[in-house]
Amino acid sequence: MGHSDVYTVASSDIVFESFDGEAVVLDLSNGKYFGFSDSGSRIWEALSSGVPPVQLIGAATRVGEVTASEIGRFVAQLLEFGLLALAADAPAQMPSETLLADLARAGDPLHVEIHDDLADLILVDPIHEVEEPVGWPAVKQAT
Amino acid sequence: MSSITLKTLPDYARHVLAAAESAAGGYHVTRKVHLPRLEMTAHMGAGVLASAVEQAFVRAPVAGPGKCSIFVADPQIEGVPAPAGWGRAFFTPHAFAGRLAEAGLRGNYFHDLDFWQFYDPQRGVGVQLMASADAFPPWEPGAPLRAFLHWEYAARGMRLAHAGTLGIDGKGILLAGSGGAGKSGTVVAGLLNGLDSVGDDYVLIGMAAAVTAYPLFATLKQDPDGFRRLGLDRRLTSYGPLNWQGKHQFHIGDIAARPMPSNLDITALVVPHISGGRISSIMPLSRKEAMIALAPSGIAQMPGERESGFRFFSDLTRLLPCYQLSLGTEPQEIAGTIADFMMRGTA
Repeated sequence: MGHSDVYTVASSDIVFESFDGEAVVLDLSNGKYFGFSDSGSRIWEALSSGVPPVQLIGAATRVGEVTASEIGRFVAQLLEFGLLALAADAPAQMPSETLLADLARAGDPLHVEIHDDLADLILVDPIHEVEEPVGWPAVKQAT
Repeated sequence: MSSITLKTLPDYARHVLAAAESAAGGYHVTRKVHLPRLEMTAHMGAGVLASAVEQAFVRAPVAGPGKCSIFVADPQIEGVPAPAGWGRAFFTPHAFAGRLAEAGLRGNYFHDLDFWQFYDPQRGVGVQLMASADAFPPWEPGAPLRAFLHWEYAARGMRLAHAGTLGIDGKGILLAGSGGAGKSGTVVAGLLNGLDSVGDDYVLIGMAAAVTAYPLFATLKQDPDGFRRLGLDRRLTSYGPLNWQGKHQFHIGDIAARPMPSNLDITALVVPHISGGRISSIMPLSRKEAMIALAPSGIAQMPGERESGFRFFSDLTRLLPCYQLSLGTEPQEIAGTIADFMMRGTA
């Protein structure tokens, strides 16, 4: 993972909507939701449309410039959550003026929070992973 | 019938639908239920589910124009096969729903009981196949056949939402949040103090010209603590045993001051939470937070249609102002706060 790498949305199961500049992402395959801060939403929007992190380092926000370590941690999180994937052969895009202007108005730090309290019901394989005496949807506890 | 896999699933669904329809003469009970914009005909045997279909729904004042037919089938009905089981292949609801959707079908499977539900939205025909007449999941009688309604209404651009409602004079609010957030207690507090509701738990939402909530199910639920706190143990002269969740189950008509309205024009999306404070308050909430309160349980509790649900709830959230309701401790005060909020025209 490098700052010059180009990324794309990890799969067609990743769907997202924006609410007053804040993104909510749903992974249809496992039912996990992700809520982005305003700056996180803009960076997500840029990264998922092929803008490499290096193009966003130093971009202004109301809480300071985006740093290399900050965006590095953010990209690592998005990869770990399965929201982004490397797009090795894709051409790098430049961030639009509109996106940079929106980012400059963002007042919260780069942040994405996961909401997975209902995801177990979707993820679990009821045949193999439930407490047998109780049955679905009681999920077997890790031992 | 051998075990079902993703590969054989569409053929199995068509086989079950055809067998259940062919056995049409073997169902002892036929119930026609007038729901908003839909006439549902359920063919079934006598018993708990037939009683549930008789009692659980709120009848719409006008029938149709849409129609659907659901066959509640088991092998005791001549010509109905015993349900097959799922094979050893890994099961995910998303892959299951996707495979059926490719074939133009909808479906749901409850492993413990080999309980299958299949629906053909093109023809408006569905089947609920059970190993025996009483082999259904414990939650089924509370909101019977809801999966079929979910699929049929989704095909019409409407949606079952996991949300409560309260209203005055035809206008109302949608109460969203996960279990334990205080939705049901808030709905009961409102009803006991003169507000209207078109449902708790599951309501039908349409977004044709504006956001409108319609009633489907007349059932309310409260855990024993809430039941006592709200005075329902004194108010209700008779109530049944606790349901599968350990909750009391009763009807809106048991506590509502007026007949249920046929719909409410929804003017705000409100997310309740138990604050621990004595007095209730209502504050603006970001649409992102409101969406995360509304969508997950509504999508997780309904099989299939996950992406269309996400888009629908996103559009709904954008259309409405969103608020957080910090719940006080007194039902009358909570209801008064909500009534003031709605009457001020904020909602």
